[in-house]
Amino acid sequence: MDALVRSRGAYVCRSCTRSLRRQWLRGHSYSTAATTPDIYDVVCVGGGPAGLSLLTALRANPVTSHLRVALVEAQDLAKVRSWTLPPDRFSNRCSSLTPASVRFLESIGAWNHLARDRVQPYHEMQVWDGVTGARIEFDWGLGSAPPARHAVEGTTIAYMNENLNLTSGLLKRLDELGGVAVFDGAKVEAITYGPETEELDLRQWPLVHLSSGNQLCARLLVGADGANSPVRSFAGISAPGWDYDRHGVVATLEMEGDGWRGDQIKIAYQRFLPTGPVAMLPMPGRFSTLVWSTTPANAAVLKSLSRKDFVAMVNAAFRLSPVDLAYMHTQEAGQADEYSWRIQHTPHDPRAVPQEVVAVQEGTVASFPLRLRHADTYIAERVALVGDAAHTVHPLAGQGLNQGQGDVQSLAKTIEYAVTHGQDIGVTMSLEPYLSERYAANHVLLGVCDKLHKLYSASSGPLVPLRSVGLSAVNALTPLKSFLMNRAAGNPLKLF
Amino acid sequence: MRPALRCLPRRAIRPTPPALQPPAFTAAAAAAAAAAAATTTTTTPSQAHPALSKSRSFTSTPTHLHNPASASVNETEISHFSALASSWWDPHGPSRPLHLMNPLRHDFIRRCLSTSPDSSSSSSTTNLRYLDVGCGGGIFAESAARLPSTRSVTAIDPSPTILAVARDHARRDPTLAPRRGRLAYVNTTIEQLPLPERPADRYDVVTLFEVLEHVDYPAAFLDRVGAFVRPGGWLVLSTIARTWTSWFTTKLVAEDVLGMVPRGTHDWDKYVNEDELRGYFASKGAEWGAPQVMGVVYVPGAGWKVVQGSEKVGNYFFGVQKLH
Repeated sequence: MDALVRSRGAYVCRSCTRSLRRQWLRGHSYSTAATTPDIYDVVCVGGGPAGLSLLTALRANPVTSHLRVALVEAQDLAKVRSWTLPPDRFSNRCSSLTPASVRFLESIGAWNHLARDRVQPYHEMQVWDGVTGARIEFDWGLGSAPPARHAVEGTTIAYMNENLNLTSGLLKRLDELGGVAVFDGAKVEAITYGPETEELDLRQWPLVHLSSGNQLCARLLVGADGANSPVRSFAGISAPGWDYDRHGVVATLEMEGDGWRGDQIKIAYQRFLPTGPVAMLPMPGRFSTLVWSTTPANAAVLKSLSRKDFVAMVNAAFRLSPVDLAYMHTQEAGQADEYSWRIQHTPHDPRAVPQEVVAVQEGTVASFPLRLRHADTYIAERVALVGDAAHTVHPLAGQGLNQGQGDVQSLAKTIEYAVTHGQDIGVTMSLEPYLSERYAANHVLLGVCDKLHKLYSASSGPLVPLRSVGLSAVNALTPLKSFLMNRAAGNPLKLF
Repeated sequence: MRPALRCLPRRAIRPTPPALQPPAFTAAAAAAAAAAAATTTTTTPSQAHPALSKSRSFTSTPTHLHNPASASVNETEISHFSALASSWWDPHGPSRPLHLMNPLRHDFIRRCLSTSPDSSSSSSTTNLRYLDVGCGGGIFAESAARLPSTRSVTAIDPSPTILAVARDHARRDPTLAPRRGRLAYVNTTIEQLPLPERPADRYDVVTLFEVLEHVDYPAAFLDRVGAFVRPGGWLVLSTIARTWTSWFTTKLVAEDVLGMVPRGTHDWDKYVNEDELRGYFASKGAEWGAPQVMGVVYVPGAGWKVVQGSEKVGNYFFGVQKLH
C-alpha cells in the first residue's frame, strides 16, 4: 500500500515522488545551494526510548561512532532533558524494563544516567484469574527471608521505571557522547527521495523535509516514530492489526505501606478480569503504578470519579467479584461507601493481594486505547522500523518497551556488522539480519499476549474452567514457569 | 552431464584473440578467463575426462602468446557475465550468493592479515591499498572501499558492460565518489595494467574472488596477478574445488535444478583444487609464505557457513603472503 499524502506535509507514495523529485531537481538546478540536503548515514525520526537508545548505541560503539547521525523529534527535548519530579511524585507512564533491556542500557552507558532512586526492581509476580481464583506465583525460588541486597540483583524479574526517567537518562548519555545532529521541535513535513547529480545518484535515498526548512538525506532512515509512523507510511509498509475495544487506565497510587515483604522484596500483581487485566506494579517506597485494561465505557467512568471513589474502585478491582465490580461501574458516585460495605462480605486473603491503596496522585489518572499492530516487515530499501513503529503489543505482559529495546539492540548489531564488512548500511541486504532476528520473536510475543487477552476476556463458557486448570497446572510445573519467567525477564527465546 | 562433454582436449585451439577489447579477467565471477582463447596456438595438455584425470593443467602456460594483452580473458566468459550485468546488484537476483559471501571475504582477509608477522603494527592492517582483479559489478570493491582501514581500491574488469554497472552503482554512495579517491574502476585486463615499478608501490592486498575458475591458464594468470602484490602483501582468492560434489552442487543443482545461478556460469573443468594451488605457490620457492585456507559451504536459506575441511570439497578461500 502506498503511503498517503498528508498535504502540506506530504507523505508521498513512491510513484508520486518521481514527479516531486523532478520538481525538486528543477528547483535545484536553477536555485542556489541553500536547499542542498545534508547527507547523513542514519536519520532517526522519533526521540522516544527506541530512537534515543539506537543513537546512543551507535555513538557509544567505536565501530559505528564515525557514522554521521541525526535525530528528528517533534517535541522540544530540553523539557525531557531537564525532567524532574519530587521524590514522592511519580509520572503515570511507567514501563517494566526486563533485565535484558537493563543489560543493554548498561552496555551503552545509559543506565547510570537514570535517576536510580526512582527505579524499582521487583522480585515476584502474583497472577490470578478473577473469575475462578486460580493463581500462579512467579518468583526465582526465594526463601521467605529477605536475601542480602547483592543477592537481590540476580532475582529481579524486572524493573519498574518512569518512561521519562529513561528518555531523560538516554538524552544525558547522548549529550555526554556528543556527535548527534539534533533537530527537535521540528515536524517531518514530507519524506521524498534524494536528487541525482552528475556525480551522485541519491534517488533511492530518503529525503526528510523538516518544518524548520532543513532537508536531511539518509543512507538509512530509521522510523522510531511510534504507532502512526510517518516513516512506515513513506516506505509503503502496512501494519495490520486490530483495536481491542479496550482502554488502558493508568494512575500513580499511594499504598498503605511499602509492600507485604517490605522494601527488599517487591511484588507485582495482575488479576485477569473479564473486561481485561488489572495490574499493580511497585514503585519506590509506598508507591505503585496502575495499568487497568478495561472497556472504553468503564475507563470513562473511572476517569470521572472523585479521587476517593477511584481509590475504592482500584481496591475493589483486586478483591471483589467481577459481578460486584460490574455493578460499581454503574454507580455515578459513592463507590467508596459501596466498597467498604461489600469488602466485609467478600472473603479474601489480604496478603494475597496488593496492600490497600490509600490515595491517588492528582492528575495521574489517564487512559489510552489498546491496539495490536504488526508491520508487514521492518525493513525496506534504506528504511528500518523499530519499537512501536514496527509493532504495538497489548500491555498485559509489560513487553512493549522491551521489544523496542530488543529491536534497537539487534539493529545496532546489524549496523555494526555491516560497517565492519564494508556494506552500505542502508540497503536491504545489510538490514536482513535485523528483520530475521526480530520479526519472528516479536510475532510470537504479540501472539501470546493477544491470546492471553482473549482467553481471559471470557467470563463464562467452556474456556473458563480450562484456563483455571491451565493456570494451576502452570503453577505446578516448574519448567514451564521458568520458561514464562524467562520470557518476562526478556531472556532470549530459543526456538531451535 | 556436463563432464562427459569434456572428453576432448579442451583448451585447444581457439582462434585469435577476441577482437573484443582488452579483455582480462573478469569478474567475480567472471573472471578472467585466461587467455582467452585467443592467444594460444598450442594445445594444453588435454585433460581428457575430468573424472579420470584429476589434475588441472596447472603448469600449462600457453606457449606463444600472440596477444599478451588478452591473455587471461575468455570471450565466452565475458559475454556471459555481461549478460548478467543488469541483475548484479539485485539482492534477490542471481548474484545473491555472491552478496551473501562478501562478508566472509573480509573475515578471511582479516584472518590473513592477522597472521602477518608484523600484524601488531597498524601499518600492515590500516591504510591498505587493494587491487581487485575481476571486480564484476563491484560487490567486493565497494565494500572494501568503505572500510575505515582502506586507503584505496583499484578494481579492474575486462567487461565494459559490467564496469558500467559497477560505476553507476557506486554513484549511489557519496563515500565512493571518484573525487574522494577511495574507489577507482579501470576497464582493463591484468596483462594491460601497468605494473608499478617499485615493489613498494604495489598493492597490500590483491584479491581474486570467484575468478580463477573462469580462467583458462591459471598458472600464467597467477604469475601476472602475483606480481602486483607488494613484498609483505597478500594475494587472496576464492574459487571452487573440482570434485564430484562441486559438480553436483554448482552445476547440476545450482544451475540446472534450482536455477540459483544462471546456466553456464561455471565450467566445472576450470575449477581449481586447493592442493593444486598449494603446489603452484610452493613451486615459486621462498617467494610466498604458507597459505591460509578456509572452506565454505552454501546452505540455502541460511547463507554461507565456514566448514573446516570443506576446501577439499567445494568453495574455498585461499590467501598467501608474498615474502619477497
